[in-house]
Amino acid sequence: MSIDKVASAAESAFNASLNRLMELLRIPSISTDPAYADDCAKAADWLVKELTALGFDASSRNTPGRPMVVAHYTPKGATPKTPHALFYGHYDVQPVDPLELWNTKPFEPVLKKGADGVERIYGRGTADDKGQLMTFVEAARAWITATGSLPVKATFLIEGEEESGSPSLIPFLEANKKELSCDVAFVCDSNMWDEKTPAITTRLRGLVHEEVEVQGPSIDLHSGMYGGPATNPIRALSKLVAALHDKNGKVVIPGFYDGVSPLPKATKKQWTTLKFSEKKFLGSVGLKSSAGEKGFSVLEQIWSRPTAEVNGMWGGYTGAGTKTVIPAKAFAKFTFRLVGKQRPEKVLKAFQAFAKKHMMKDAKIKFLGQGGGSPASEISENNIYIQKSAAALKAEWGRDTVLMGSGGSIPIVRSFKDILGMDSVLVGFGLNDDAIHSPNEKYNLNSFQRGIKSWVRIIGELA
Amino acid sequence: MLQAVLSKIDAAQAETMGFLFDLLRFKSVGTDPAFHPDCRACAGWLKGWLQARGFEASLQETTGQPVLLARWGAGQAHLPHVLFYGHYDVQPVDPLNLWESPPFEPRLGQNARGQPAIFARGSADDKGQLMTFLTAAARWLEVAGELPFRLTILLEGDEEGDSEHLDRFLKAQGRALKADVAMICDTEMWNAVTPAATTSLRGCIGEELTISAARIDLHSGYFGGPATNPLKALSALIAKLHDAKGRIAIPGFYNGVKPPSAARRAAWKKLGMSAKTYLGQVGLKYPAGETAFSLAEQVWARPTVEVNGLWGGYMAEGRKTVLPAEAHAKFSFRLVDGQNPAKVRKAFRTFIKKNLPKDCRVTFTAGGGDSTGITIDDQNIWLKMAVAALQDEWGTKTALVGSGVSIPVVECFRKHQKMESLLVGFARHDDGAHSPNEKYDVESFHKGARSWARLFAEIGKRNMK
Repeated sequence: MSIDKVASAAESAFNASLNRLMELLRIPSISTDPAYADDCAKAADWLVKELTALGFDASSRNTPGRPMVVAHYTPKGATPKTPHALFYGHYDVQPVDPLELWNTKPFEPVLKKGADGVERIYGRGTADDKGQLMTFVEAARAWITATGSLPVKATFLIEGEEESGSPSLIPFLEANKKELSCDVAFVCDSNMWDEKTPAITTRLRGLVHEEVEVQGPSIDLHSGMYGGPATNPIRALSKLVAALHDKNGKVVIPGFYDGVSPLPKATKKQWTTLKFSEKKFLGSVGLKSSAGEKGFSVLEQIWSRPTAEVNGMWGGYTGAGTKTVIPAKAFAKFTFRLVGKQRPEKVLKAFQAFAKKHMMKDAKIKFLGQGGGSPASEISENNIYIQKSAAALKAEWGRDTVLMGSGGSIPIVRSFKDILGMDSVLVGFGLNDDAIHSPNEKYNLNSFQRGIKSWVRIIGELA
Repeated sequence: MLQAVLSKIDAAQAETMGFLFDLLRFKSVGTDPAFHPDCRACAGWLKGWLQARGFEASLQETTGQPVLLARWGAGQAHLPHVLFYGHYDVQPVDPLNLWESPPFEPRLGQNARGQPAIFARGSADDKGQLMTFLTAAARWLEVAGELPFRLTILLEGDEEGDSEHLDRFLKAQGRALKADVAMICDTEMWNAVTPAATTSLRGCIGEELTISAARIDLHSGYFGGPATNPLKALSALIAKLHDAKGRIAIPGFYNGVKPPSAARRAAWKKLGMSAKTYLGQVGLKYPAGETAFSLAEQVWARPTVEVNGLWGGYMAEGRKTVLPAEAHAKFSFRLVDGQNPAKVRKAFRTFIKKNLPKDCRVTFTAGGGDSTGITIDDQNIWLKMAVAALQDEWGTKTALVGSGVSIPVVECFRKHQKMESLLVGFARHDDGAHSPNEKYDVESFHKGARSWARLFAEIGKRNMK
């Protein structure tokens, strides 16, 4: 049977695919909050049930954190030469706060047609990553339903801790090296170039987290009695945050840029030929001007430059009305996006030294982060799987596939290479306006539908 | 006459303690509606007590708890007129489990120095303190039959709650409550052996702001770099509020601020307020205020801006790689005499708007209850008399101190009655005014009453009219 026929079979079964996605979206599988641990297990079990029904040998594996779903499929008559692909996604989702900004309930997904005629699925996890991971689950279903089998050996690895830094993933890969080593990994957690143009992400920024506690006085103080001489930890922390960048947006932490090389001229040139409107990109989220490093285009800033960002900050009285207090403590969460050969542990160390040096005299800083993190990763554009996937995507979307960078981090890509020796092909159907991690996250119905068909074609190309 | 009154105070000490204990048994927590009947009963007890001692007394309704108003010698226009202010309401008692004895069952125990002390909610703040004055007045009347001045007593029940109630009441009363001076007994001694009068108070205004940038929270991977982060913008603004010398960098902020007089600076220097003690007790070492001013000046004579709270982005457990759409902060400004609260607020807002990075918007909300800073002139005659009287009683030179904290009634008296206040109190640093196991030293109570009696004698001697 031709690939086209499988693709049209997928299309005619689309309503059932959508219903299954909605079922998965209704499970509030937030991994960062222990209160939702049971729901994470429920999402994992749901996937095991679905994959088992398709003929996979599927199981939910315990980890110290959330369970890992592993499923294998071997077609009849497979030989050692039959290609073996691993498909990676994650069933966990981001927390939903601020809840009051959602127009619909985050775990009651709805399909809505916009004024522009575009149909979108709204709900937490629609784009990141349940909608995306279901594109290849449903593509596998299409192959199995239409032809009785997948044309390749397939292993699914679906984790539940992606949004909390994947603490169990590396030990799990180490412990199951043999079982999980394939010819190539496909990761579906990235975006298209635009709504009509497919893309493969070949550059990913790395990531490392830190959380700090700054202590001033031993107890909260009355701002009348102590305002003036008392060291205010919020002020101390603010001074640190303000000191991180110079006026050109460059991070001033000594040693921060060690391992960052300038972008190769050819790549830089290719990026300038992409039709990327900075105005539109920033405008889509209500911004006008780039606050990043001067001298770099916005694309360069998000694809090839490291950052230091504060993700959350709090301290003192945050309730209604006035309380004239000088708090004892203030807190902040930071992330650093990494590129090139920047090492997470070195960046953390450099930040810590910088932070200590920039504390006010009476302020004590503690580092509460768990360490870890992942360096950036890049994959060659000549890789055979990249080329096959690019061709399959072009066949589905009718446009040349863009090979792009991504500002986001997908640490798994690094781990697949380092531990399992596999390259990763990052294909995804998310769009820049999907509002992942934000209220009113959505996934375009078209992304889901043609995403499924795209995987049908990629699987076909592999065979 | 003074000696006879002092002897009477000493001799009747046991009876006086009994009165205080009766007063302390009222659960007059003004902020909790459940205790409003207790507040009224407490005010009623004070009314009866004063009537029995020759005062015309009544309860005046306000928008909050009733005000007890009592007068002696109203018709005697040849005498100077003193208004005494105190408050009969007390702080809530929680956390109750930390009290060693029930808060409204006063008990005689010992302070940390082994001296007798009265333990109960309100013992120091302010029932014990107000009773020092009432005792002195009552014993004086008992011994002499008349006071050397006209006396109006005003005891309110909303001091620990919303100061708007008394403000409204005083505004409505206007000149009817004007006296030559208001005496307020709600402050501390300088230390266990040194009496004090408070001559400067800092005012306060509150301000809250929200900085917003992107329309929605953003993924820090996809937007980290080019996207404006409001937490960073807010941090940069906070970092800009002070220069390297701790001076506030808001243009116009110091308009109207006068440095304390040379005499006052010298007197404060002599008090020997040390960072080691003052900051050491709260785990700090280095004064972080304006480097050009001493510690005492930083808390008593210099205005400040403080961040009281800040929040934005992801604050729960774990991680969220988000660039928040909004960041929030609450500020309080401590003001000194000469600064105009409305102008300070305006200067702050202008400063923030001017320094706001591109792509950020800001909205402001004013906190309630603005108050101005107050300085009482060293040459004030009532102050001079009090200084002398206190020194006679305690045998130590009276300290003229400042207070970083505002006492809103002082400003109300200035505004509505055109009346200056005299702030004398006998509380001690370790009284635990708003804390469990609040106490008032028996010595504070006893010598407090004697101190007032001495001041009464000074007033008589001077013939103020």
